[in-house]
Formats: sequence, structure tokens, C-alpha cells
Amino acid sequence: MLRAYSILAYLFLYGPIMLIVLFSFNSGLSAADFQGFSVKWYAKVGGNSLMLAALQTSLIVAFTSAALATLMGTMAALALQRVKGPVRLIFDALTYIAIMVPGIVIGIATLIALVTTFEAANTVLATIWPGDAPLQLHMGYGSIIAAHTLFSMALVIVIVRARIAGMDRSLIEASMDLYADPWATFRQVTLPQLMPAIMAGFLLTFTFSFDDYVVANFVAGPLNTLPIYVFSSIRRGVTPEINAIGTAIMMFSLVMLFSAQLLLRRKSAPQRA
Amino acid sequence: MDRKDFIKQLRRYQKGSISRRHFLGVTGLGTATAVLAASMPHLLTRRAFAAGELGDQVNLTTWPDYHEPKNFEKFTAETGVKVNITVFGSNEEMFAKLKAGGTGWDVLVPTNYTIETYVGEDMFEPLETALLPNYDPKFYTDARFTAPGDVNGKTYAVHKDWGTTGFVVNSAKVTEKPTSWKEFWDLTNGAHKGRTMVHDYQLTTIGNALKYFGYSFNSNDEKELAEAEKLLIDSKPNLFAINSDYKPSLINGDAYMSVCWTGDGKQLQKTDPAFQYILGKEGGEIWADFYAVPKGAPHRAAGYALINFLLEPHVNRDEVLFHGYPVADKRVIDLLPKEIISDPILYPAAELLAPLEFGAAATLTNPARAEIMARFKSA
Amino acid sequence: MSAGTATIAVPAVTERKQSGRWLTALLLAPSAIWFFVLLILPLAVVLIYSVGVRAPAGGYQAAFTFDNYLNLPARWTAFKNTLTLAPLGTLICLLAGYPLAYFLAVKSSARWRLILLILVIVPFWTSFLIRTYAWIFILGGRGIPAILDAMGIADVRFINTPFAVMCGIVYAYLPLMVFPIYVSLEKLDKRLLEASEDLGAGPFATFRQITLPLSAPGIITGCMLVFILLMGEYLIPQMLGGGKVFFIGNALVDLFLQSLNWPYGSAVAMGLVVIMLVTVTLYLRATAATGGRRDASLI
Repeated sequence: MLRAYSILAYLFLYGPIMLIVLFSFNSGLSAADFQGFSVKWYAKVGGNSLMLAALQTSLIVAFTSAALATLMGTMAALALQRVKGPVRLIFDALTYIAIMVPGIVIGIATLIALVTTFEAANTVLATIWPGDAPLQLHMGYGSIIAAHTLFSMALVIVIVRARIAGMDRSLIEASMDLYADPWATFRQVTLPQLMPAIMAGFLLTFTFSFDDYVVANFVAGPLNTLPIYVFSSIRRGVTPEINAIGTAIMMFSLVMLFSAQLLLRRKSAPQRA
Repeated sequence: MDRKDFIKQLRRYQKGSISRRHFLGVTGLGTATAVLAASMPHLLTRRAFAAGELGDQVNLTTWPDYHEPKNFEKFTAETGVKVNITVFGSNEEMFAKLKAGGTGWDVLVPTNYTIETYVGEDMFEPLETALLPNYDPKFYTDARFTAPGDVNGKTYAVHKDWGTTGFVVNSAKVTEKPTSWKEFWDLTNGAHKGRTMVHDYQLTTIGNALKYFGYSFNSNDEKELAEAEKLLIDSKPNLFAINSDYKPSLINGDAYMSVCWTGDGKQLQKTDPAFQYILGKEGGEIWADFYAVPKGAPHRAAGYALINFLLEPHVNRDEVLFHGYPVADKRVIDLLPKEIISDPILYPAAELLAPLEFGAAATLTNPARAEIMARFKSA
Repeated sequence: MSAGTATIAVPAVTERKQSGRWLTALLLAPSAIWFFVLLILPLAVVLIYSVGVRAPAGGYQAAFTFDNYLNLPARWTAFKNTLTLAPLGTLICLLAGYPLAYFLAVKSSARWRLILLILVIVPFWTSFLIRTYAWIFILGGRGIPAILDAMGIADVRFINTPFAVMCGIVYAYLPLMVFPIYVSLEKLDKRLLEASEDLGAGPFATFRQITLPLSAPGIITGCMLVFILLMGEYLIPQMLGGGKVFFIGNALVDLFLQSLNWPYGSAVAMGLVVIMLVTVTLYLRATAATGGRRDASLI
């Protein structure tokens, strides 16, 4: 019965997706009226340089912010186990606040804070910089990655700490007694146990950043991320081209997933034998 | 730039201390070449534009379905500059984003009632009309459509098009023939409950509610605004949606009526002749949109090139054929086919135009109107 | 063993403690910097703005007044909407997500587990906006209502209702609920379940006494994440609610982008954050009090 429920759940998750895929092959103009089968929208997507640029931006931002967040978040989660008192309280509070603050608020607040800081910094840089083209700070890759990393890092801290909280300490203690080197303990006992949480954190934060519209809308400056591009396209009338974009991205992710799974299987195959 | 400065920059360029792009930009040679090439496209080849160094991108902030995409392709082919479009649903949002800063926009399309405020907040630069040879004020048919772009004697914005705000009706579903705002609101709350849309910004929503009572579209009178607010809040449960992106819902049949702009009405009618664009008898809004350049535009030269390109009469005519909004430039009107000029949607009869009012700058900044809108949305 | 090595180990312990402190500081430094520059600084801006006044042309004007806070009740409807729909949405997400997480962590075979897990998240690589537009289609005139119409049930309205918003919410927040629960269920030792079965406990008793308590950290994490994020949501109510369902997030967008009343918007934002802090603290105190293991709690 649990299996039946899970199938239902997956159908629920993929229902709208199948709709999107179906309409991406619509030969008509509207994304609501299926008129016939055609792949022309995919050709259009391939030639849409603005969309491709937005996609590239999104990928770079998502990967960088997820990597940074996972690294810093895991480090912080580990460190917070060794800390008590006010420091821990402050970090806990900051972590929750980072997650709690609505995207719209942090988006606007970060924008205003960064614009003000950049203005001041740029005036200083312009005066002290040697030469004719002083370094000037702008909203762009730096600001989006930074803003996304904040929320993502807090998310990773929460997830990894939940895992650490339920971890079997006796294994770690035993390892510490057996090995003199805490680094080895970490690498061979703690880290593998934490891996699922770390991977879950990376995946989740990559997804969050790749799909984020609200924060990016404010701090991206002149850059277009894919959600920003999609949103302004949707405003101009939904054509099946949007569906084609969505389908293409999903197909690409599935391909990556299956090739990763194949690679992993091949790696572990000798062990199994 | 005087001769000594010019020589200094030239020496720097020859030494390699500055880039070619910087040199062309700072001496103005780049812009001059670009503008020259823009106004005489047949004389100069594409390579001339590479020398002009307009950059590879220009950021245009505008309204939905407002430009012929083929024109942008032409522009890119001629200049090598890609046009990056951001679209908004209301002037208030556009203003808020620009005010917050860091946007990177090069060209803006503001509506008449906002320009004074933009200038007052020092967000626009006075236009260097020398860079816009296709802009010629003497060809404009009506000063009302161009005057808002001039503030304190300086030109901050040039006319793009004008239009009206009425309402669109799907006559296949709405068999009554409404001709006034009173009927619009009555049908919303009566026979066609749950099938009407209004815009999500204060100017037209509050304005057209005021029109129900026959008050001025721009009224800031407390009593009149209170009556309009009551109408809005009472109507809210009967509305389909409060959204400036109304076309999709109209096309797929979820909504039958909506507050609507001229060109959208035309585009809807082209999709399905059952759509009728109607100007309320009591009045409503008449407006004009402009091109402007915000202060600190990162691709300023490309921005000017784009505006100039879009103002060229033949290009502008193609724009009109696409978006369906009337233009006040006589050179363009002369190029338009007769069906367009006599189209009652684009060029309504005089007696329908007469009661219409231009949006007033005060409505943009009036906190009372903003509060009414907020209370309406949260009701 | 410890007693025997005590005298020898003492200097090593203090040494370890010293380098331990360095290590801790090093591990915490990057996140500390990030928190400061990208959280504290922007929030300070919001705080300063919240005691300012609206500039005549919109925006912020320097001032010091508590009027904005005193005016918060004007947005009571938005607060009420959010405080009713957010918990409801969280509950539905939990009820929908837990079985799926359980299936993935306990019942699925190891070969398929990773794939199935990532399949949960792959739809979310299709762009939230496009997926929500698909829902607008499904719930709109040409979708389910059209099917119902063909079956004879006419004039059903789903789109632009709180129901539509709820559909969108559950659809969007499901993985956020599933992942933490999965993470805590995944380390559940299956032998405990077998042992319980061998001892004669029925599946429900096993679930109640073993599985549920052990997955408590995951449940708490998932619920908190979903609830908190729901409180700040504005896109789903806007797209699926047609501008008629007004969350606090929508009120904030309106204040910042339409009314241009940034000081008041900042006050509303601060009010929201305070409400969330209070709710979360109470929630955690309550769950700790009901006997959750000390290490299971996150504070």
C-alpha cells in the first residue's frame, strides 16, 4: 500500500510536468490549446541566445553558491557541536533568521545595502586606484552568488546538524580511541555518516538557487538568470517555447542523473563481486 | 573635449594604457560614428559598427508585447548589439526598481504621469537630442502627447506612442453591450460574477472606479476616493483576478471582461474578433509612453542608438503594425495603411476621446491612493 | 584505560583543546563573515528604514518614529491569512510527504534509492514559474473544470481561490518536507524494526514507538522549514490566487514596489520576523518538553 501511495505521489509530482512536456510539442501558438505535433519550439530555443545566456548564468550561480554553501555550512555545523553558550545561541539565531526572512525582504534589503556599500566603495576606489580604469563594484554575479549562498548555507547547517544530532556517537568515540589522528576519524567515520546529509544539502541548495526568482530579481543587477528570463517571457504571453525550455532543462538533468548513476555503479561493481 | 585632452587620450591609446573601447568612448568618436551609421544605414557596413564599439548588449525596460521582435533582429544585424528586454506590468514597479538602484537599465519606457517624478528624483538624464537625429518635434500632431517629456524646458523623454485605457469584452460571452464604466462595474457584480479582471496598480483601478460615479479620473478628493474604495472592496469577491497580465486569461476563456489598453485590445481582436474594445462614456485615461535614458546607463551609447533606430519612421511603422498603439508622429501616420488610421480602436472618435484625462503625476506619489490600493488587495 | 593514561594524557588534552579552539574558530569564520555582511547588514538597513518615513515621491526618508510599527494592525487581514494558511499547508505537506520519505528510506531497495530520491527533486529543475503556470492551466477553465463540465458538473471554479493556492503550496514545498524526514529515517536501523516485529508488535505500534520518535528531528526540521518559508511566500498566492489571496509576502511586495512606502514595508517585515521567531521558539520549547531526546533538538 505504501508503494501504491508512493506511485500516486510521483504521479502528482510529475502530472504538471507531463503537461509541460506535452505542450512543448504543440504546433500551435498557445500553451493552452493543443493543435498538433511539432518540434519547432526546440529549434527556437536552441537559437535563443538571450535564453542561453540566462541559462549559463543560472548554472554558474547555482553551482557556485551550492558548493560554497555546502562547504561553509558543513564546517559550521561541525564546529557548532563543539561550541556552547552565547556563541552557539547567536549562530543558531542567525541560522534561523537567514532561513526565516522572506526572500522579498532579504532581496530588497540586500540590494539597498549592497548598492549603498558599492557607491561608497566605488568613490574610494576611483580616487585611490592607479591608472585610468579603476575597479568598480557592480551588482552582478558576485551579488547573486553571495545572496543565494547565505540562505543555502543556513539550510545546509540545519540539515547537517539534524543528521549530527542523531548520529551514533559511540562509533566516533571508538574510532578516536583506536586512531590517534582525529582527521582520520573524521574522514573515515564521521564524514561517511554525514555524506547523505551533505549531498542532500548540496542538491537542495543547488535547486533553490537555480530556481530562485524573488531574490535574484532584486540583486542580479543587469544579469538575467533563467527564472528572471522565464518570468518576463511569461508576461509577454506564454508560448510553447517556454514549455520547451522547461522540458529541455529537465531532460538534461535526467541525463546527468542517469550517467552519474551508471558511473557510480561501475565504480562499486568490483567491490560487489 | 579640447584638443590637448584629445591628444592626451590618443597618446594613451597608442601607448596601450587604455583600451580602444575606452578611447573611442571617452573621445566621443565611438558615439559619433555609431550615430552617423544609424542614420545612414546604407552608407556604412557592419564593420563600421564594430569600430563604433557600441558594446554587445543594450538593456531595454518596457511593457508586454510592445515591440516588433523583427525590429530588434534588424537592430542587432546592423549594430551587433543584442537587445535584452525586461518587462513590467505597472509604472509603480518600474519606478521602485529603478529607485532602489543597481538595475543596469539603458532605455526605459515610462508613461506620461511618471516623468515629472523621475526627473524630480534625479533618475533621468536630459536627453542629448543631437544623438537622436530621427527625433523631430515638428512632426508631432498633438503637443499633449509630447509635452510630458519636457520638464523645466529640457527634454527628458521622447514620444513613443499614445493610447487609451478602456475595457475589453468578449462579446461571445457577454451579450449585453456595455458602453460605460457604470455598466462595466454593474456587470462585474451582476450577470458576470467572477469573470472580470482589473489591473493591479492604483492609477486605472482607482481611476475607473471613480469614473463609475462620474468623478475625475485623477481625483485626490478624500470623499470621492472613499466612495471609489467602497466600490472596489464590494466588487472584490466578484472579480476573477487583480492582474495586469490579463491577456492569457481572456484568451483561454477564464475571464470575459477586463480593464485594457488600446494595443492589447487590438491584439486581442486580431486573435479573436469576438473581443471588443470599449471606451467608457464617462471618460477614463488617455496616456502617452516615452523613451528615456536613466542616469548611469551602462550602455548609454547603445541605448541612444536603439531609441534612434526605433524612432525612424519606417521602423516605427512596423512597430505600430505589431503592437497596435497609435503614434503621434506624422511621418509614421503617413506610412500607415488606411485601415489602421480609420480603426476606431487606435483612433477613436473625437467625442469618445474628449472626456478622457491624462494621468496626473500626483497620483503616483499620493500615499492615500496607495493605501486604498493596499486595502483593496488585502480585503 | 582512561585512568591509566590520565597523567600522561593531560597535557595532550589541553593541547588538543587549544588547537581545538583554533579549529573551531577556523570552521566558523567563513559562515560568520557571510552572516555579517549578507544578513546582519541588510537587516540593519531594514531596521533603520522601519523607523523612517516615506519620502514624498516614495522610498525612504531619514527620520526616527515608531509610527510604522503602531500602524501594523492595518495589515491585519494579511497576517491573518498567512497565519491560517501556513500551518494548514505545513500539515498537508507533512501528511503527504512523510509516507513518501518513509518509502524511500525504509522500503526502497538500495539500488533504486538514490535515483528515486533525485527523481523527487528533478521536477524542480523545470523552473517553478513554468510549473506554476501548468497549475494555472490544470485548475483553470481548460483544465479540470473542463473535464468536470464534460461529466456534467458545470461552473466549478478552482483557480484564484485559496484552494488553488494550497495546491500550489503543497506541490512546491513537498521536497523540502521529504528530504529532512528522509535524512533522519535513513539512519534508522532496520534491525530495530525487525526486532520489534519479532517481539510481536503490530506495524502501527512499531511505527509509533520506534519509527516516529527516531524521525522526530527530521519532522521538526521539515515542518519548520516549510512553515517558515510559507510565511514569506508571495509568488504562489499571486499567480494561483489571481491577486485575490493576500499573504504578508504580497503585502510586502505591494509596499515596496507599488505604494513605495519602504519604511512601512520594513516595519511589516520586522513584524513578520518577530512573529516567526516567537513561533519557532515556542514550537521548539514545546517539542523539547514533550520528551524529544536532548540531542534531537537543534538548539
